[in-house]
Amino acid sequence: MFFHIVLERNMQLHPRHFGRDLREKLVSKLMKDVEGTCSGRHGFVVAITGIENVGKGLIRDGTGFVTFPVKYQCVVFRPFKGEILEAVVTMVNKMGFFAEAGPVQIFVSNHLIPDDMEFQSGDMPNYTTSDGSVKIQKDSEVRLKIIGTRVDATEIFCIGTIKDDFLGVISDPATAS
Amino acid sequence: MSVEPFNRLVKLAARAFYDDITTKGDNQPKTGRSDNRGIAVVVLDALTRRQWVREEDLAKDLKLHSKQLRRTLRFFEEEKLVTRDHRKETAKGAKIYSAAVAATVDGLQNGREGDEKIKLHTHSYCCLDYAQIYDVVRYRLHRMKKKLKDELDNKNTVQEYICPNCGKRYTALDALRLISPDDEYFHCESCNGELVAESDKLAAQEMGDGDDNARRRRREKLKDMLQKMEEQLKPLMEQLNRVKDLPVPEFGSLQAWELRANAAGRAGNGDSTANDPSKSSQGLGYGGTPMPFLGETKVEVAFSGVEEKADIKSENANSPMKVLPPWMIKQGMNLTKEQRGEVKQELKMEGTSSPAELSDDKKTTGKDDVKNLQDEYVKAYYAALLQRQREQEEAEKGQQERSNTNISNGVNGTSSERQVGVKSKRDDDEGDDDVEWEEAPPAGNTGESYKVNDLNVQADASGDDDDDIDWEEG
Repeated sequence: MFFHIVLERNMQLHPRHFGRDLREKLVSKLMKDVEGTCSGRHGFVVAITGIENVGKGLIRDGTGFVTFPVKYQCVVFRPFKGEILEAVVTMVNKMGFFAEAGPVQIFVSNHLIPDDMEFQSGDMPNYTTSDGSVKIQKDSEVRLKIIGTRVDATEIFCIGTIKDDFLGVISDPATAS
Repeated sequence: MSVEPFNRLVKLAARAFYDDITTKGDNQPKTGRSDNRGIAVVVLDALTRRQWVREEDLAKDLKLHSKQLRRTLRFFEEEKLVTRDHRKETAKGAKIYSAAVAATVDGLQNGREGDEKIKLHTHSYCCLDYAQIYDVVRYRLHRMKKKLKDELDNKNTVQEYICPNCGKRYTALDALRLISPDDEYFHCESCNGELVAESDKLAAQEMGDGDDNARRRRREKLKDMLQKMEEQLKPLMEQLNRVKDLPVPEFGSLQAWELRANAAGRAGNGDSTANDPSKSSQGLGYGGTPMPFLGETKVEVAFSGVEEKADIKSENANSPMKVLPPWMIKQGMNLTKEQRGEVKQELKMEGTSSPAELSDDKKTTGKDDVKNLQDEYVKAYYAALLQRQREQEEAEKGQQERSNTNISNGVNGTSSERQVGVKSKRDDDEGDDDVEWEEAPPAGNTGESYKVNDLNVQADASGDDDDDIDWEEG
């Protein structure tokens, strides 16, 4: 699920950036530092949408670096148990398949794939129904439900299932392209 | 506390779960003769009829080999059904236990009085732990049900993987770490073995999963299994429900139980000597066991004794007051006025008030008590002082050869002189009182601490008395 929240961070800025465009430098550094990171508490920081305020800078003794407390608005993405996500399959093997929904990695084990789909090994390993109408392979897009999450301090990993109504492949790369 | 419902629970659980437990190692061939399945049930049943029991005795009663029994019991200990206790004891010490057994209801008297070796043997005892059994059985049922249910609608289970080599378990949440670049299986982190999905084992052993038919059949089988379980374990669950609100029979630790059983037996029999080996073995020190039960320790505090004592004291203090050794008068004179007043008060309390006032409140008794202490302290102090003075004098005289005898004399003398000293002091005070009665402020409610200080000051003052005397007289 996505959230738009305000976070705060102490930014250290090198003295060479002090000048007319200090603020721009600060913001660009903040984006570079923060976007794409993951915290267990808030999830993945997807994008910074704005700066709330920049506090007074504090010059560090000895280094000349200045620390600015920066409050910024950002979009974060945090997966929850029971959430339905759309994801792209990245790898298929006998144990199941891995998919990505943005920054989140999801594993769907073969027990959580509908019983009528079977693993086909080969050049392009895939799960296929007996009549061959539905195929899950690399780069397929699937809709899945998250049934478990592991949230570490800097990492979130999920387990999903496609063994439920309205879950499964939404577009087949073979037919789409 | 009734044990019966719990015993029934144990019996049901034994038949449900431990029916086909064999304690033989896997490597031994299971011939018809060595097949000891069902032993577990027998042992558990036997334990329901006992409380704490020595394992040897149990083995004898069950006509089992003690090794075999021990193996079974160890299994039950691991299953948390049984608590065990091991201790080193002499043959006599072991008799305490026998006595305890004799005292319990079922009166299992065993003829184990023969050997009287003083050698220490390690004896093991075991007892059912009903409270834990209740929890264990409930937990077991819960796990069974959960496992089946999870498997049944396995769309919401987190798949578990197990390493067949090292037995390490992983969940699907670890999947990212487990994939290997070489093949399409998960590999164990520690031994790099190929992981096996865990839930496959339960229902799909015999049919190779693959065709959808098999999966459906497996599902049916699971459902069937769950149903059967519900049905077959129904009596057990009912018993669990019945037992739920009952107080759990608790035997306590082995020692506590022994004490209690012995005490109960003694109370029942009325004789404490005849059937009680604990008494005879007291001297022999059976290692590790506490002293046998010797009845409740009662402490009775009688306050009357203190009062009497105080009275006696005060009388003693009062009666020979008239005798005044001259050196004491000098010492006693050097008192400040407040001190005199307080001392006077003190004396008043002691002399006159104690018989009268003791009756009306407790506080006075307390004061008297303190006073007694103070008196004793003063006496001891003066005695010591006296002796010191004597010794010094004698040392100054320089009569070395007689010093020993003198000291001994001095020591002997203290007993008499101590009395004299104290009394004379008091007397002295009295004398002061007489003189300065009017001046003395009625410091009636001075606390004990005052008096203590007072005494100390007085004692100190006795050292540098000369100046004061001069001052007073001048």
